[in-house]
Amino acid sequence: MWEDFKAQFILNFVNEGRWRYLTNGLLVTLKLTFFAVLLGLVIGFTIAFIRNIHADTGKLKILNFLCGVYLTIIRGTPVVVQLMIIYFVIFGSVRIDKSVTAILAFGINSGAYQAEIFRSGIQSVPKGQMEAGRSLGFSYFQTMVKIIMPQALKTTVPTLLNEVITLLKETSVAGYIALEDLTKGGDIIRSRTYSAFMPLIAVALIYLVMVLILERIVKVIERRLKKNEK
Amino acid sequence: MKNDNLSPLIQVKNLEKHFGDHKVLNGITVDINKGEVVCVIGPSGSGKSTFLRCLNRLDEPTDGEIIFDGENICDPHSDIDLHRQKMGMVFQQFNLFPHMTIMKNLTIAPMTLQKKSREEAEGYAMELLKRVGLADRASDYPLQLSGGQQQRIAIVRALCMKPEVMLFDEPTSALDPEMVGEVLEVMKELAHEHMTMVVVTHEMGFAREVANRVMFLDRGDFLEENTPDRFFSEPRNERLRDFLSKVL
Repeated sequence: MWEDFKAQFILNFVNEGRWRYLTNGLLVTLKLTFFAVLLGLVIGFTIAFIRNIHADTGKLKILNFLCGVYLTIIRGTPVVVQLMIIYFVIFGSVRIDKSVTAILAFGINSGAYQAEIFRSGIQSVPKGQMEAGRSLGFSYFQTMVKIIMPQALKTTVPTLLNEVITLLKETSVAGYIALEDLTKGGDIIRSRTYSAFMPLIAVALIYLVMVLILERIVKVIERRLKKNEK
Repeated sequence: MKNDNLSPLIQVKNLEKHFGDHKVLNGITVDINKGEVVCVIGPSGSGKSTFLRCLNRLDEPTDGEIIFDGENICDPHSDIDLHRQKMGMVFQQFNLFPHMTIMKNLTIAPMTLQKKSREEAEGYAMELLKRVGLADRASDYPLQLSGGQQQRIAIVRALCMKPEVMLFDEPTSALDPEMVGEVLEVMKELAHEHMTMVVVTHEMGFAREVANRVMFLDRGDFLEENTPDRFFSEPRNERLRDFLSKVL
């Protein structure tokens, strides 16, 4: 039994330095997640801002409409399909780095979800705060930045980190455009060694550990924010 | 009591406000004079809060003019943010900024909008804090204070901008009864210093004691105004008599 396990381990991870598929894959996964979250942050923030301005003042009708279309399409279709459309259709005839394509796809996808997170954060701030800011003579924009956003961010940060966790797992479909992320790395080992159990369980464990670490961080931050409330 | 030498600081002409089909204000015309305390009373839903909120356009008037400092502030070309700096407002729910210390609450507007230095803004804020007896709370956060204390801070926050007029929207309605007095006391002091004040209130005692004029609003109509003595002792309008018989 033990001998068998050892043999399998050596076959899957040690021989021909196959462990590198996992470590390199992990780096790709982390890179994708990190930059996609950043891109999503920018997109999400901008969209939430536009939609709030529209809700509060009735301005920016066309932009608001476009944001609505974007949100509907992105949230109404699977991320794998979006990834493939961007890679094979939009950049089909252009030579472009695969990871850039993936970051674009995952970032655009995450942006839609982050937009809703920001928007609900902003809406969780009582209406009286905007009125108090405006009554002092602050413009709509100044009140947003100085008074509403800092309060909205507090409720937003934990949810945002949960979005990072989701995204980390979602990038596992990057293999569809032949990008060698963690999942694809495990799958390559499987295809070389014809043994599925060990590489795939290893991949799962690595994801799990990363998610647990992130969840830990969420908890700590949540506690910090609560402490600051009073 | 009536002093004709006073010049109007705010002239309201035919102010109308509709929410959809619902007419909340039916053409209100009134002058608010410099140094005057005007109390606005009326049953709930009468439009008195809307009237007050139209004065600084927190509620956008549907029609009519509001002349403040010689300018029609309903004109789309007038810079309402600039006018609001001179119109302090105090809300029923205080609306202090919970993520800032008291001192930051008081200084953020003067420092950002009037480009005051920190020393100057904090110095003036401290002076006012002392006068309302809350100087020792400067570094606390709003939620650490009682309702009455928060409302006094809210008054000070508006005063830190050195406004020409103060608008009060039922400032004591959200307070526990034992805290009403301390807030009214601050408002009385302001009145004695000849601050121009428009006060929407249910505090008849305050209106009688402090106001120069009392206005009665019902169903969006401005039905009667008078000096407090006459307003309460010889009301002419039927609806006002009815209202007073219920609240007094």
